[in-house]
Amino acid sequence: MKKKVVLFFVFAFGILTLLPSQSLSQKTIKVGIVDTYTGPPTTFTFDVRDGFDLAVREINKAGGVMGRTIEYTTRDEKFKPDVGLAMAKELLMKEKVDILMGTINSATALAISDLAKKEKVPFFVTFAKSEKITGEQGHRYVFGISENTEMAGRAAAFALSKMPYTKYWIAGDDYEYGHSIANAVWRHLTKLNPKVTKIGETWWKVGEADFTPYITQILAAKPDFIIVATGGAAMVNFQRAAKATGLAEKIPFYQHTAIEHSVLMPQGLDAPEGVYGTCNYFFYYPDTKENRAFVDQFRKAYNRYPKIGALYGYVTAKLIAEGFKKAKSFDIEKFIDAVEGMVIDSPVGKLELRKCDHQLALPMYFGRTKKVGGWEFLIATDIQTIPSKDYMPSCEEILRLRRK
Amino acid sequence: MDIYAILSQILVGLSRTVILFIVSSGLSLILGVLRIPNVAHGSLYMIGAYAAYSICRYLGGDSGFWLAIFGAPLFVALISFIAERSLFQFLYEREHLMLLLLTFGISLIFGDLVKMVWGGEYKTVPIPKVLQGYVTLFKNLNLPLYNAFLLLVGPVVAVLLWLFVNKTKMGKIARASAVDREMVGACGINVSWVFGLTFVVGCFLAGLGGALVAPTISVTLGMDHSLIMESFLIVIIGGLGNIWGALLGALIFGLTQSLGILIWPKFGIVLPYAAVVLVLLFKPKGLLKSTW
Repeated sequence: MKKKVVLFFVFAFGILTLLPSQSLSQKTIKVGIVDTYTGPPTTFTFDVRDGFDLAVREINKAGGVMGRTIEYTTRDEKFKPDVGLAMAKELLMKEKVDILMGTINSATALAISDLAKKEKVPFFVTFAKSEKITGEQGHRYVFGISENTEMAGRAAAFALSKMPYTKYWIAGDDYEYGHSIANAVWRHLTKLNPKVTKIGETWWKVGEADFTPYITQILAAKPDFIIVATGGAAMVNFQRAAKATGLAEKIPFYQHTAIEHSVLMPQGLDAPEGVYGTCNYFFYYPDTKENRAFVDQFRKAYNRYPKIGALYGYVTAKLIAEGFKKAKSFDIEKFIDAVEGMVIDSPVGKLELRKCDHQLALPMYFGRTKKVGGWEFLIATDIQTIPSKDYMPSCEEILRLRRK
Repeated sequence: MDIYAILSQILVGLSRTVILFIVSSGLSLILGVLRIPNVAHGSLYMIGAYAAYSICRYLGGDSGFWLAIFGAPLFVALISFIAERSLFQFLYEREHLMLLLLTFGISLIFGDLVKMVWGGEYKTVPIPKVLQGYVTLFKNLNLPLYNAFLLLVGPVVAVLLWLFVNKTKMGKIARASAVDREMVGACGINVSWVFGLTFVVGCFLAGLGGALVAPTISVTLGMDHSLIMESFLIVIIGGLGNIWGALLGALIFGLTQSLGILIWPKFGIVLPYAAVVLVLLFKPKGLLKSTW
């Protein structure tokens, strides 16, 4: 593995020295994207890149930002924090990018965030879910686009607290993401509905493929409801095992992003019905003029439906363009002052980038999976919109966290 | 602890054992006859799963699945045949370390090739209509029909493999070659082809395991990593090169895993590894006779 990395750098360095530096013109706004473009996370990250690309094309076609076009370069961090950090440094020093963006890997995002703080370069975190990014370790130069585990947990707890279930079981991936999501849901659920009790927990290793034995164990314990804290391929695996064992018919369960179509589409019509989930975006909801236009453009450009990542990429480009316009300057400090608290239009309505923690306030949708005629895969129905004020931690809470 | 829960957990564990056994028996066969510690075996299992996905996708319906069960392992066998004739056959006389490095390299290449051919997205193979749903056993505990199907497949594969190794001429020659290659060669038998065919049979089993497991999981990159680790442990505790040892090892591994989850959830995933340590403490050469 090490050899591969070394070879890659030798190769990358060779190419970089051969190419003429493109930042000579200085008539562009350069964005450097570091993200995982190899392995399972590409399901999400290609959409971020393409959503960003779509917005950039739109902006440049309309004359750019005060006469300057936006230009971007991407680097593949291969889900390795050390590689990701090295690439961010390379983008800053060699490519002289004005703004950094990425990644789906929380560890890489935190490492680059630290670099951004030192170098005073704005860094837009598009997909990483660690609550530390804009919480405890937040600072002037880091911005959060996607929701984090704390926010997802609060949103789920908000919706679940209105349901009649009391005997809960918690199951999930035995690593940071699984535990953070589960803890956040449970902490807030017990606050909102004191009647709930936890009758047991199950944790499996990351990358577990066969969930049948775990499900037999949960079925034997007979809970009313299960909180399943998994991510990635395990989402699909758990749903398939839940269908095959009949768990999905017997005990309702919740998975964050279970209703997102990167999870539902690969399963076709074989996915279980009635699974609860939360998610920021669907290409079919909200059924507004803005969203339809976005979906049409995206399909025209890439020949597929946009997934959640496409929204993240798209709004990031909008924030960058609108920020410079509002600042009426290309000065980075003025840009940051301008984007703080700024409101932009998006496919899901008007969105505010909160001033206190630099976190984008997206609405969260809670729904359950269902077969609906005309679709080749399950979609989310009974969608409730949870407004950002109901699930985002308050500014006081964030400030208290940062002072600690 | 509910006795019914334990019984149904044992059945679920046994169906997992079937997959582990099929894959590890192939690994064990290659290890026993050719002396190749085939790290690429896991990648062949992954390719089997992806090939099953493609076959199901293009043929559609239930017939697609039944053809995939045979077609995917055949595809894997073809790949392994090419690899054996073009690479391995020149290295049999070398040290094990060389072979280990070669198979490791091949596993990396296969990993990248799979990514290039099938992409990074998750793939799912549908369970055929007749095997969808579950049977309710003991009170309200369910066994998915597909797992019940695996419980039938396991013994069939074990018996066929036993017949192949013990009752066919080819199997006998392969066993003899494992013990004394030169003597078999002196009898006028082309040992190189015997080795080649044994390798292909072993890899066929890896592909079969992948095709059979595909409907129960999402087919994804990296599914080879955890499996190759488990397979090697199974082969080691069973006795290197011993097919029945692979069965015994898979049983120990599969059952401690599923019962561990039920009885001791917090440490369930550690139990199979603890069992491996325990076996090796008392029987460092594995439970059954090793051919090494």
